[in-house]
Amino acid sequence: MLQNNSEYQKKNLPKRLSQLGWFLFGAGLFLGVIGFFTDQHRAILNYLMAYMFILSIGIGSLLLVALEYVGGADWSVPIRRVVEFLSSIIIFLPILVLPLVFSIHDIFHWAHKDVVSADQILKGKSSYLNETFFIIRVFAVLAIWGIFYFLMIRNSNAQDKSYDQTLTKRNIILSAIFIPFFAVTITITAVDWLMSLEPHWFSTIFGVYFFSSSVVASLAAITLFVVILKEKGFMHPKLIDDHLFSLGALQFAFINFWAYIAFSQYLLVWYANLPEENFWFIHRWQNGWQYLSILLIITHFIVPYAALLSQPSKMDPERLKFISVWILFAHFIDLYWLIMPNVEGYYFSWIDIVVPLIAVGVIILVFNYRAKKSNLVPIGDPKLQKGLDFRVP
Amino acid sequence: MNIDYSQELRVVEGALKQSQIEELVAKPLETRPDKKFFIALTISGSLLLFGAACVALTFYYGIGLWGNNQPVGWGFGIVNFVFWVGIGHAGTLISAILFLLRQRWRTGIARFAEAMTIFAVMCAGIFPIIHTGRPWLAGYLMPYPNQHGLWVNFTSPLIWDVFAVSTYFTVSFVFWFVGLIPDFATLRDRTTSKIKKTIYSIFSLGWRHSHRNWQHYEKAYILLAGFATPLVLSVHTIVSFDFAVAIIPGWHATIFPPYFVAGAIFSGFAMVVTVLIFVRKIFNLEHIITINHLEKMNKVILATGMMVGYAYSMEFFIAWYSGNQFESFVFINRAFGPYAWAYWIMVSCNVIFPQFFWFKKIRRSIPIMLAIVIFVNIGMWFERFVIVVSSLHRDFLPSSWGYFTPTLFDIGILVGSFGLFFTLVILFTKTLPVVSISEVKAVAEGAQPSHNGGHH
Amino acid sequence: MKRSNKLFGITAIFDSPNEIIHAAKAISNSGFKNFDINTPYPLHGMDKAMKLKPSKLGYITLAFGLSGAAFTLLFIYWAMSIDYPQVIGGKPFFAFPAFIPVTFEVTVLLATLSTVIGLLTFLFGFPNNKQSLHDTDYMKKVSADKFGAVIYADDTLFNELKVKEFLSSLNANSIESIFEFEKESYPIFQSKFLMLLLAVAVITSGGTYFALNKLLLMTPFNWMAYQDKLTAQEKSEFFQDNFGARPKVEGTVARGFLPYPFAGQVTPIETLSNPLLPTKEVLQLGGKKYNAFCSPCHGNYADGDSRLNGQFPNPPTLHSKRAREFSDGMLYHIITNGQNVMPSYASQVTHEERWAIVNYIRALQRAKNAADSDVKKIQMGLLNASK
Repeated sequence: MLQNNSEYQKKNLPKRLSQLGWFLFGAGLFLGVIGFFTDQHRAILNYLMAYMFILSIGIGSLLLVALEYVGGADWSVPIRRVVEFLSSIIIFLPILVLPLVFSIHDIFHWAHKDVVSADQILKGKSSYLNETFFIIRVFAVLAIWGIFYFLMIRNSNAQDKSYDQTLTKRNIILSAIFIPFFAVTITITAVDWLMSLEPHWFSTIFGVYFFSSSVVASLAAITLFVVILKEKGFMHPKLIDDHLFSLGALQFAFINFWAYIAFSQYLLVWYANLPEENFWFIHRWQNGWQYLSILLIITHFIVPYAALLSQPSKMDPERLKFISVWILFAHFIDLYWLIMPNVEGYYFSWIDIVVPLIAVGVIILVFNYRAKKSNLVPIGDPKLQKGLDFRVP
Repeated sequence: MNIDYSQELRVVEGALKQSQIEELVAKPLETRPDKKFFIALTISGSLLLFGAACVALTFYYGIGLWGNNQPVGWGFGIVNFVFWVGIGHAGTLISAILFLLRQRWRTGIARFAEAMTIFAVMCAGIFPIIHTGRPWLAGYLMPYPNQHGLWVNFTSPLIWDVFAVSTYFTVSFVFWFVGLIPDFATLRDRTTSKIKKTIYSIFSLGWRHSHRNWQHYEKAYILLAGFATPLVLSVHTIVSFDFAVAIIPGWHATIFPPYFVAGAIFSGFAMVVTVLIFVRKIFNLEHIITINHLEKMNKVILATGMMVGYAYSMEFFIAWYSGNQFESFVFINRAFGPYAWAYWIMVSCNVIFPQFFWFKKIRRSIPIMLAIVIFVNIGMWFERFVIVVSSLHRDFLPSSWGYFTPTLFDIGILVGSFGLFFTLVILFTKTLPVVSISEVKAVAEGAQPSHNGGHH
Repeated sequence: MKRSNKLFGITAIFDSPNEIIHAAKAISNSGFKNFDINTPYPLHGMDKAMKLKPSKLGYITLAFGLSGAAFTLLFIYWAMSIDYPQVIGGKPFFAFPAFIPVTFEVTVLLATLSTVIGLLTFLFGFPNNKQSLHDTDYMKKVSADKFGAVIYADDTLFNELKVKEFLSSLNANSIESIFEFEKESYPIFQSKFLMLLLAVAVITSGGTYFALNKLLLMTPFNWMAYQDKLTAQEKSEFFQDNFGARPKVEGTVARGFLPYPFAGQVTPIETLSNPLLPTKEVLQLGGKKYNAFCSPCHGNYADGDSRLNGQFPNPPTLHSKRAREFSDGMLYHIITNGQNVMPSYASQVTHEERWAIVNYIRALQRAKNAADSDVKKIQMGLLNASK
C-alpha cells in the first residue's frame, strides 16, 4: 500500500482569492438589485443566466468525477480535488435558486393561468408545466445531486486518511449509478429552466445540448483553476505539462461534440421547416439576434477549434489559460442566446454585467471554502502515483 | 475479489512472451483448415448463396418481389442497411476512439473489430444498390458532368449517405491496412513458403521495422484515429438524417443523430462480443482476448444501451409535451397497434436484458453474456424495423394506412447478408492475423523500457 | 537475390527494451547520423533517444484537409447555386447547412488518403522490397522479438572496425555486416509487360463498349425502355381496329372550353350578358386577340377594309348600324357560333378572351361614332397633358 505521499504539502489559498470572490459577488449582487428595480424582467432573466452558468459547472464537474471513477482514468487523479471542489457548488444551489423560485410567474409564460386557459396547446402541457410540479422537480433534482455529491465526496475525503481501497470501489459503484440519474436530471433541468421559456417549442435533443454545454464549461473552469494553481505551486509538485494534455484534449473533444449537437438540432429544424418548430430559430435570426448567433458559432466553435487543434497547444499552459477563459465567455454567450431572446428586441444592457460578476464570484467563493477544508490532491487515492507517472505518449 | 487499483491492469495474461504471442496469432495462417472450418464455411456459404439467389431474382423481376407497398415504401432494404452500418461502427470505435482514449486493452481486439467493420460496411453497401429499380444504373449516384447539365442533389440525405458510407469504407479499409503492414512484414519474415513470402512481401510494401518509419507511422496512426472518430460519428448521424429531416411523426426528432450513433455502438459491440466469444475459444486466444476485454465491452454495451433507452423516453416525453396529436399517436400506435409485437421485442431486448450487465458475475459469464448480446442484436434490428415500418404504415391520413408484410425474398436477402458477413469473417480468420501482432507485443509485460531506469 | 561486395552497414542485436534505448542514446551521442533502430513494435522514448525531429506528416493532412473542404464547398456552390439552381424543398439556392455533410465527408476522405499516401510514398518510399536489410537474419530477429541497431556505411564517421568495436562495447549480441543487393535492371519494354498492357486496354474498352451499347439494351435491362403500357400512336392488340389512339368519348370537353348552350342557333333564344368591364387590361387583351383573329377579315379598325375586301366572302364592317345595335351577348354568340360564312372561333379564343374582344369592338365602335361630349373630353385631356 502507498505511504503518506509527503511530497504534497497543503497550503492555504491566498486571502486575495476570497477577497476577489466577495468583491465580484458583492458587486454583482449590488448591481443586480439596482437592475431589478430598473428593469425587473431583464434582471430576473439575467439572474437565471447566472444561476444556469453556476449550475452547469457544478453538475458538469460532478459528472466528470463520476466519469473518472467509471472509466478508470489515471491522469486525472492528481487534479480530481479541483473537480470535486467545483462540484460542491451543488450544495449551494438550493439557496441560489430561491430568487428564481419566487419569480416563476415573471419568468415563464406558462405560469400565467389566463394565458394557459386561452391556449389549447399550453393547456395540454399544464400537467407538467405548472408551478407546483415545477418546484417539486427543482428541489427533487437538487436533492438527488446533493445526495450523490455527499456520498462520493465523503468517500474521497475519507480516503485521504485511511488509504482504504474499498472506498474507491464504492465510489465506482456510486458513479455508475449516478450517471443514469444525471442524464435524467440534467434533461429535466434543461427542459424546465431553458426550453419552457418558450413553451410552444420542443426539441428531443435539448437535454443533450445542455449537457454538452455544461461539460464544456466545466472543463474550462477546471483547466483554468488547475493551470493557475499549478503555476502558483498549490498542486502536487510532480504535476507537469503532460498532465494538462488530457484536459486540453477533452476540451477540444467536447467543443466538437457541442458543435455537432448544436448543428444537428439546427439542421433538422431548418430542413423540415415546420412552423411549429422553426420559429425558435427564426426568432434568433431577426431583429439583431442574428449577430449574436454568428458570434456564438465563432466564439464557441471556430476559435477554440483552431486554438486547440495541434498537439502541443493542448498542453501549453498559457494557451490553455487563454482558451479556458475564452470558452467560459462563450458559455455565457450560449446561455444568453438561449435565454435572452425572450426579451423583446436585442440590445446589450449594463444589467447584463451582473451575470459574470455573480457567477465568477460564487464559483471562486465556493472553491475557496472547500479548499480550506480538504487537500488539493487526493493523497490517499491508490491511483495517485500512476496518475503522476502519466506522460503523453 | 479485491482489485489493487495502484497496479497497472495486465492486458495480456498468462505472462506470454513476444514469441508466444506471435506463435498463437500466426498459427491459423500456417496450418491447413480443419473439418470444423469447412462445416462453418458451408453453413455460412449456403446462407450466402440463398441470399444471392434472392438478389438475382430481384434484379430480374424487380422490387415487386419484395413486400414494399404504399404506404410502406421503404422496408427491409433500409432496415438492413442501417443495421449493418451500425454494426460496423464498433470496429472503428474500438480502433480509433479507444486509441485516442489510450485504452491499452483495445490491442487484442482492434484488428478483428476493424475487419468486422469492413465486412459489415460491405454488407450494408449492398442494400442501397439493390433496393433501386435499376441497380445497374447506380453509377448515376455520383456527380459527373453530363449533357443534361444535371447534378446530384447535394442537399439530399440520400446523397450524403453515398458520400458518407463510401468515405467510411475507404477510411476504415485504409486504417485497417496500415495496421496490417507491420504484421505482414512479420509474417513475411517467418514464413517458409515461397508463394506466401511473395504475397506478404507485396502487401507489407517493404516494411522493415525501422524506428524512423515507426515514428511517422505512429503519427499517421494518431491522425487516422483522429479523423476516423468524427467520421464514424458523422456516418451514422448522416444515416439518421435519412429519417430525421423528414416531417413524418416518429421520424422527425432532433435527438436522432446521437441516438443512432449510440445505438450503432450498442449493436456493434454486441456483434463483436458475439463473434469474439467463439474466435477466442477456437483459436486458443484466451490469454490475449481475455474475460477482462469481454467485461469491458459489456460495460460499454450497458452504457450505450442506456443511452438508447434515454432516447426512447425522450421521444416519448416530447411526443406528449409537444401537443402534436400525430406525434402522440405514433408512439401509442407503436406500443399498442398492429406492430406492438415488434415494439416490445425491441424494448425488452434493448432496454431490459442489458440491465443484467450491472452485475459483475453476469458480465464475466460467457453463456449468459452470449445470450444477452444476441438479444441485443435482435433488438437493434427490430428498432430499425419499428422506426421505419411503424412510422410509415400509419402517418397523417387514416385513408392511407396500410400494413407491411415481408416476403420470402426480403427475409432471404437478410439471411444472405448474415451469410456474407460470416463467410468473410471465417475466411478472414484463416488468411490474415486476427490479432494485431505488433500492437499486442507492445503492451505485453516487459515490452516497454522502464521510465528513467527506475523501478517500483 | 544476390548480394554484391559493397558494404551497406553493420547491424547489432539487443535483447531487451532498456538495452536498445541505451544503445540508441549512445549511437546518437557519438555523432553518427546515418543509423537506424529496428524494433518489432514502437518503443516509448525512442524518438528522444535517437534525437529525432517531430514528424511533419500533420502538415500534409492539414493542407489536404483544408483544400478538400474548400474545393468541395466551392464545387457544390457552383453546381447547386450557379450552374443548375433549383428550388428544392423551398430552400434558397445556396442552402449552406445542407452543403455541410458532403463537405465534411470529402474533407475527411482527402485528409486521410493524403496522410496514408504521403506516409507510404513520400516518407517511406514504399513499396521497396529491395532494401538491403530484407532477407537477412537481422530482419528475421527484429521482426519477431529482438531489437536491433544498424549503422550505415555511408555515414561520415563510419569505420568498419571502429563501429564493430563500438557496438560490442554496448553489449550487442550478434554483430553482422550487411552487403547491398546487386542491381537489377527493369526494362519496361519487355514483351510480356506490353502484351499485358494491350490485353488490359482491349478488355477494358471492349467491356465498356459491350456494357453500355449492347448489354443495357438486352433483357432484363431494357424492360423499362419497352413497357407494356400503350404509348402515343402505338399499334394496339387490345382494340378491334388495332388503333392505340382512340376517339374522344362522347361528352368529353377540353379544359377551359365548356359546351355552348346556343350552338347552332342563328339567333340565340337567350343572349348572355357581358361579365367584363371595359378596364385597361380587358381592352388590351381584347385588342390583342382582335388583332390576331378578327382583323384579318374585319380590318384593323373593324372597317371591313382588310385584304379580303371585295372578294368572296366579303367581311362586313362592324361600324354599321346593324352591328352597333347588336347586344354584347349577340356579338359573343357570333364569335362562338359563327354566322353565315364566318366560322366558329370557339376553339381559338377562350370565353374570357371573347368577352374582351367584345369590349374592344365596342370601344372601336364608340371611337368611330363618338358623341360630342366624348370629343370635348379628349380635347380637354390633350390640353391638360400638354401643360
